[in-house]
Order: sequence, then C-alpha cells, then structure tokens
Amino acid sequence: MNSASTGTAPGPATPILLFDDECAVCRRMARWVRGVARDSAGAPTVDVRAIGEDPEALRRLDPTLDIWKVYAKSHLLMPDGSILIAGEAVAEVLRRSPGMAWCAWLFSVRVFNGRPFQSLLDLGYVILSDVRPIFGCKSCGAPALWARPFAWIVKMANRLAGTKAQAPHRPNFTPRAAKAPQPPPSP
Amino acid sequence: MNHSLSASSQNARSPSHDGIPSLDAAGFEARVLRGHGPIAVEFMSYSCAYCGAMEPVLQQVAETLRSREPIFRVNVAVEVDLASAYEIEGTPTLVMFSEGQEVGRSEGLDPDAATVLEAVTAPFGMRR
Repeated sequence: MNSASTGTAPGPATPILLFDDECAVCRRMARWVRGVARDSAGAPTVDVRAIGEDPEALRRLDPTLDIWKVYAKSHLLMPDGSILIAGEAVAEVLRRSPGMAWCAWLFSVRVFNGRPFQSLLDLGYVILSDVRPIFGCKSCGAPALWARPFAWIVKMANRLAGTKAQAPHRPNFTPRAAKAPQPPPSP
Repeated sequence: MNHSLSASSQNARSPSHDGIPSLDAAGFEARVLRGHGPIAVEFMSYSCAYCGAMEPVLQQVAETLRSREPIFRVNVAVEVDLASAYEIEGTPTLVMFSEGQEVGRSEGLDPDAATVLEAVTAPFGMRR
C-alpha cells in the first residue's frame, strides 16, 4: 500500500494535498481538486498546496517528507499523521469530494485479499505519471520508455497540425525557459 | 486558496541534511567566489526530474571528493539572479570554480557516478 505513517505528531486539521506546480498536468488536476473537494458550505475538504522549493518548509509539515520523493509522487498528509501516496492519495481525495463520493467507494471494495479497483487506480496513476512529459510537463523528465512511441505520435500530429514546433529535447536537461511562472505567494 | 509552502530565509539556512550544502547569494559569494581550491556547484531545482535522478549520484561523488573538492547546490528557482548571472540555461548544470573563477561546466550529464566524477574533476586535472 502506498502509505506511510509517521507515528509522531498529529497531522493537519484538513488533509493537505501536495502537488507539482511546475507540471502543467498536475496544475490542471490541482485546479480540479480545488473545485470538487468542497463541503456543502463551500469550505475546502482538501487543502491543495504547491510543493515549492523549500525542503525545510516541507519538513515542518512532516519531518519524514523528502522533497525529491514528494515531487516524484502525489502526497496527501492526513489529519491522523499518516501520509497517503500516489493512487491511495487520489482515492482519498475522491472520498473527500462530495460530488465524486459515488465512485470513491469502489476503491475500498475487497475481492479476496485485493482491492481490484484501487489496483486499477494505481495503474492509472503510474500511466499518467509516465506520460506527463507528453502533455506539457517539461520538468518531469523524459516519457517512460513504453510511452515514447506515443510521444513521437503526438509530436508528428502537432507538426501536421502546424502547431509551433517545440525546442528539441536535450537529454537529462530541463531548460529554464520551460519552467512555469510561479504564482504570487498568498497573503 | 492558492498558496505554496513558504520559502524560508535562504541566507540563514541551516546546513542541508545531506552532503551537499545549499547556497544562497551571500553563501555563494563567501564560499565559492571567495573560496580557495577546486569547487563544484550544481545549479538545480527540486522540481526537475533530472536533478532528482542526479541527486544520489552527486551525493556519492561529494562523499568521494569530500576532502579535495567541496560540492554545493544552488536552487535556480530561488536564486534567480545567480542563475541569470551565470547564464544557466537549464538544470542540472554543474559549474566548476577555482579561486572564484569559472573553469568549466557540464549540462545534462548522464546520472552515473563515473560521468559526474569525471565532469567535476576534469577541469582541475585531478587524479581520481
């Protein structure tokens, strides 16, 4: 299971979802979660925050958080001090989103010793994570090996559609120009 | 609400919990520009997946070279002026300094120990 329990201090009052603000796909997801994860009074049921660039700030939230790992997979900090990761975090966010609760129960369904729908969600998470570079995440590295033919197809389709060609990809290198503008800090 | 985790004061930053100290502009001035002997600086960003892949390798290299060549880290997302001053086009970029002067740089290295060790020692003609 993709979860970790700190067993130290209790967590935040509202679960905190940490997302990669440099990744266009993650930003879209975060915007969607901000829209759906609200109670009947409109108050957020999940606190969606950009990971940022300060490892110490993350450790103040939870001393076990490693910024490199947090950038690699979604982390949801739970009120009981546990941390849900990747597909488990997604399922919990859906559970806490009133409009999506109809499907969230599926992820708890047990068949024999497994949770088949949670496994499907985990697989979906891995696939989306692997293809993020194709859909606008320049800081996410290269697409996974299995996704590279799709990256080529998207590139060719863009070329045929006359979309402005992107700068050629340099291996192991994230151009600074690709970095998204940072939103102003909230008061 | 759209808020990110606040950045702590870089200038007063305590040493990193790893073998590669992070530097802000003042630290860069003191430890790199006024430093002596071979020094390597990784210009990086935590959101850069390639920097994440490079991290364990660089830790290993820093440990290997500990007494001969310190390695520092500068976060280009925080130290924007430093990144611009050194014309950092992307991350990770390793810049090697001697007596405050740049003597070499490497961009987009394969994240393996031999490649990185070669990159950070070659400008100084160091025997490994």
